Amino acid sequence: MAATAEARYPQEVLDAFEQLKSECAICYQCGTCTSSCPSGRELYRGPRRIVRLILADEIEAVLKSDDLWRCTECGTCTDVCRMGIDVAAVLHRLRQLERRHGGIRCAERTAADVATGSLKKRPRIDAMRFGAAMVSRGYVPKDKVGAAEMGVKLARQLLSGGMKRPAGASSPAADPQHASVTLAFYAGCSIPQDRELHALVHEVAAGFGVRLDEARDAGCCGHPSRGTVPSLFRTDERVYTACPACDASLAESGVEAVSLWDALTRRAAREPSIAVAAAGERFVPYVGCLADRDSALASLGDAAEQSGAEMIVDYPTLHNGCCGALGGMYRGATKSSARLLEFAARHDAPVVTTCVLCRDNLRSAARELPLPATVRFWPEFFRAVPTTMSAAGTAADAAVLEEHTDDRP
Amino acid sequence: MSRPLVLLCECAGTLANIDFGRLERQAGLYADVIRDTHWCSRGGQARMLELMETSAEDGRRLVFAGCSTDFAARRFQRLLARGLKLEIADIREGCSWVHGDDVDAVTAKAERIVDSSVAHPDAPADAVSYTRRRDTVVVVGGGVAGTQAAVELAQMGHHVELVERRPFLGGRAARIGTVFPTNDCGQCLPTTDAQTGTRKCFHRNLAIDHPDLAIHRRSTVESVAGHPGDFEVAIRTLPNIVTDVCINCGSCEPVCEVESSEPGKKAIFTEFYDGRVVRTVDLETCTFCGRCVGACPVEAIDFSQSPRRTTVNAGAILMATGCEPAPRECFDYLNYDGERVITQVELTEMLDDWTAQAALGCMPVEELVMVQCAGSRDRRHLPHCSRLCCMIALKHAIRLKALFPAMRVVICYLEMRTAGVGYENWFLEARRAGVEFLRGTPPEVQYDAAGRPVIEVEDVTAARKRVLRPDLVVLSTGMVPAEGLDALTQTLGVERDVDGFVDILDRKNRATETSGEGIFVCGSAAGPKALIEVNTEASAVASEIHNFLTSAGRRGTAASRVDASQCVGCDTCSTMCPFNAITLVDRPAWEKRPETVKDDGKLAVIDPESCRACGICAATCPEVAIAHNLSDDALFGRIATMTQGVDRPVVGFYCKECAGAAIGLAGQRRDRYPEAVRLIELPCLGRVSALHIVEAARLGAAGVFLAGCAEGRCQYRSGDTSALEQLSIAEEVLAEGGTPLPLALWHLCAADRMSVGRRIRLFHARAVGEEMDEALFAHEMALIGADTMAAVPCAGGESCGCDR
Repeated sequence: MAATAEARYPQEVLDAFEQLKSECAICYQCGTCTSSCPSGRELYRGPRRIVRLILADEIEAVLKSDDLWRCTECGTCTDVCRMGIDVAAVLHRLRQLERRHGGIRCAERTAADVATGSLKKRPRIDAMRFGAAMVSRGYVPKDKVGAAEMGVKLARQLLSGGMKRPAGASSPAADPQHASVTLAFYAGCSIPQDRELHALVHEVAAGFGVRLDEARDAGCCGHPSRGTVPSLFRTDERVYTACPACDASLAESGVEAVSLWDALTRRAAREPSIAVAAAGERFVPYVGCLADRDSALASLGDAAEQSGAEMIVDYPTLHNGCCGALGGMYRGATKSSARLLEFAARHDAPVVTTCVLCRDNLRSAARELPLPATVRFWPEFFRAVPTTMSAAGTAADAAVLEEHTDDRP
Repeated sequence: MSRPLVLLCECAGTLANIDFGRLERQAGLYADVIRDTHWCSRGGQARMLELMETSAEDGRRLVFAGCSTDFAARRFQRLLARGLKLEIADIREGCSWVHGDDVDAVTAKAERIVDSSVAHPDAPADAVSYTRRRDTVVVVGGGVAGTQAAVELAQMGHHVELVERRPFLGGRAARIGTVFPTNDCGQCLPTTDAQTGTRKCFHRNLAIDHPDLAIHRRSTVESVAGHPGDFEVAIRTLPNIVTDVCINCGSCEPVCEVESSEPGKKAIFTEFYDGRVVRTVDLETCTFCGRCVGACPVEAIDFSQSPRRTTVNAGAILMATGCEPAPRECFDYLNYDGERVITQVELTEMLDDWTAQAALGCMPVEELVMVQCAGSRDRRHLPHCSRLCCMIALKHAIRLKALFPAMRVVICYLEMRTAGVGYENWFLEARRAGVEFLRGTPPEVQYDAAGRPVIEVEDVTAARKRVLRPDLVVLSTGMVPAEGLDALTQTLGVERDVDGFVDILDRKNRATETSGEGIFVCGSAAGPKALIEVNTEASAVASEIHNFLTSAGRRGTAASRVDASQCVGCDTCSTMCPFNAITLVDRPAWEKRPETVKDDGKLAVIDPESCRACGICAATCPEVAIAHNLSDDALFGRIATMTQGVDRPVVGFYCKECAGAAIGLAGQRRDRYPEAVRLIELPCLGRVSALHIVEAARLGAAGVFLAGCAEGRCQYRSGDTSALEQLSIAEEVLAEGGTPLPLALWHLCAADRMSVGRRIRLFHARAVGEEMDEALFAHEMALIGADTMAAVPCAGGESCGCDR
């Protein structure tokens, strides 16, 4: 093996593998990393196998492995490693190596390449260009209906004046009776692509008495290119994001990023004049792979409690294959996403996600399976309403009040 | 004082490259010489016996010039046992046999070796005296290990004080139901009376009631003073309240209205019946209401007792404190909740109920998953393997499958470790019984909406993820040292290993001794062990303690001594001593002192019972205030004598232990090196100080190497590390003086006998500036019989002699 590897790979790669090998030498193949890996994709065989291949000098098998590109960089494997190996960093470095010296192509790799190429030219990834580039490289969208819908939507937007910042973006909050605060908003790349969604985010935030300031050109967090291109965005102040991928990538480049949805939920709990309303009696939460699962789920639980909607939790919601994260690059339903959607359909409840990419991906999965499940993004399900303490009380609020009155001895 | 007598041996003509006439003349300048062709022959030994008697009368020192110390010790074993005292001048393995045919050079070196032994001997060892060792042993811990050792020691005729923290003897083994590999209870100890069977439970085993075995329940060791052979141990005892007249009728429990801190137990309770004390009172929760006193028909309850302190004078102390299950934080990451996710210990308690359910045809759970290495072999929690957990899991799995054949039992394992007599059969049995083995380790246990545990785990051998939804998850958690071991080891001044267990003196040969002289260990206090090992160790430690108490001392070398007129009371020696033999005391007013030292200056004192005469203190004392058996005068004298009259010598200091064995065996193989290599034997490599190395350099040495025991295996624990420190000091001094020298420290053992000659040759070549040219390389390769074309010079490392 050594002789052929030497013939095939430059010294840089061999040295890098020697280094990786010495770092991974204490691995005893317990499989905890793979057990913990939330990437639910069918073909993903997990970090343990990659480490084994490193130790067995199978350079070619490692670098050509599609599995490398199915890693979402969530870092769970590093957290759980019993030997303290930084497994996520090992995979990250392998991707960097493969980018320079690898051979085989896979859809994820292609997407990462396109994203990287795009990011070198402009700070944002343009979904139209991205889609076109992918198709020109031979990628056939798995969810053709979804891709077509997205294409039509984008084309229409383009014809009617391109990607514009919504009207509310720099204006004060719509409802003057709520105490208003301004938060620095990092919109990322996906939300601004969809003009209606972008406007909705601002509108929902305004309902909570929050003005979103998008003065900075946020650009791309760098995530889709798998960390090989760092975020171009730098700031010392705290920014609020609507996407767990942004949270994770920004945190890595030293920016303090906070989930906007958590912030809005907390604000509603603090402000007596604001209550959270839900667009349904119950919902199934989904927090994706990149979110800090426990706290994201807790935050959704808070929103549920405040709105009175029931959050139905089933085990798979905690662990699910993330992705399609690259411009809705859907690769097919996984066992876990099927389980989740089946659960939601059975309970006749929508799935609510904290990540817009998860929403799109799960919608594609629901279409493919097919399952009568609806998937909503956080602002499509939750919004603020004035409480009974303010002038206009809702019927539901009145009912609650009545109940309390009845309870009195 | 009369002249020493040199017994010159020609070794039956095998030392042909020495000119004995010349050697005899040279030795005759300072000593009388008797030459024999064969001193170890029958006639030679008879002659030596006569000389031994006459020399004892006129106080003459005998110097034997012939084979090595080790070889001579074996040949003259019987004479040495009769009191023969010999200085050895090794002109065979250390000279003739390792050099070539240059008679002039070889004889010159032999002259130096003989001169060195004649002029610079070790101090006579006659001065060794020991205090009497007290014939009492304090055994800490009344589990299987401690109780068995205590019984055996009592039967050997020693007095034993057994100190148990809990109210009952028996320890953990007695309380955990059945044990592997026998699948019966763990409540038995061996009996000594062949008529009564081979083993009996604690409560039936009358061997424990030996008149020389005193049991202290609810007791802890409070403090320890004194020194090995004569410890003063203070024991604190809490009253048991229930006395030994208790007849176990149980009348007291129903009247007690206080729940104890342990669930389901009253403040007066019984737990494990060790036969001597039946019941006890939980002093934490008892309200002293006295209801039980009224209920007791035999007046066994006495609240008038109070805590007491006992002082015992003991010759030796045995730690048998065992281990206990790892605390919750070690496996909390698996979402332990004590209900759906439990430990094997908790499963043990449930199994009795389950047996009853099985009899009624019920099955408590349908699917059960065991998770091995829960928090063990995990750098984040317990790095060590607890060794018992695999077997405990197999034991429980087999029992479950026997009770409930329809139950699905899955064991998620990392490696099944079933090394032990008959253990592998348990693994086989479990597979036959239908237990599923899944190679994989889950990162956590989740719960689904219905509260059912969900385990997502990679099936490593199939490289697939599996989702298990059992009713119950059982964690095989590890073992940690017993609570209180930390405090006990601090009280005793005994070292612990990285995992917190008692560090045993030697991992290969001395499993029951600790870093403290006279302090012993057995059983799981030194790491988790199965009962067969615990029993074996208990017997082993009893014999070991018996030897310690009855021997007059195992060492024939005098302890090191502090010269009060030089000691300034710094703490260098006390921190360097590997045996805690040195303490700093307030200097008595009548004691001598250096001029610089004021009245309140401290003085280092060496306990001769603990001192093993390694010489580390003497080598590291900044004031050169410590006298060792091999004095500095003698050592400097040997360096001077050995380097005299040779151009660019290479000086090698080696310990007489493992390095001595390697060098001696290399000599027997006649592995040659240049005559300019001059070796100096030390008791331990720790005896060498930077001054000695610098002195060798001053006298013209081209290089100095130090050879000690194998890595981490110094017979005196830290002699090699001390020597390494001295070597680096010498290196700095020489570099500052502008005369850097090649210096090296080697770790050797008898396994290095084949390579040590090459090491010495290559070091010599480097020291005198010979390049490792092709000829030398080819020569070395030919010596080891290797094909020069195939081999490449190595890239360095200690196993190679080239010192790159």
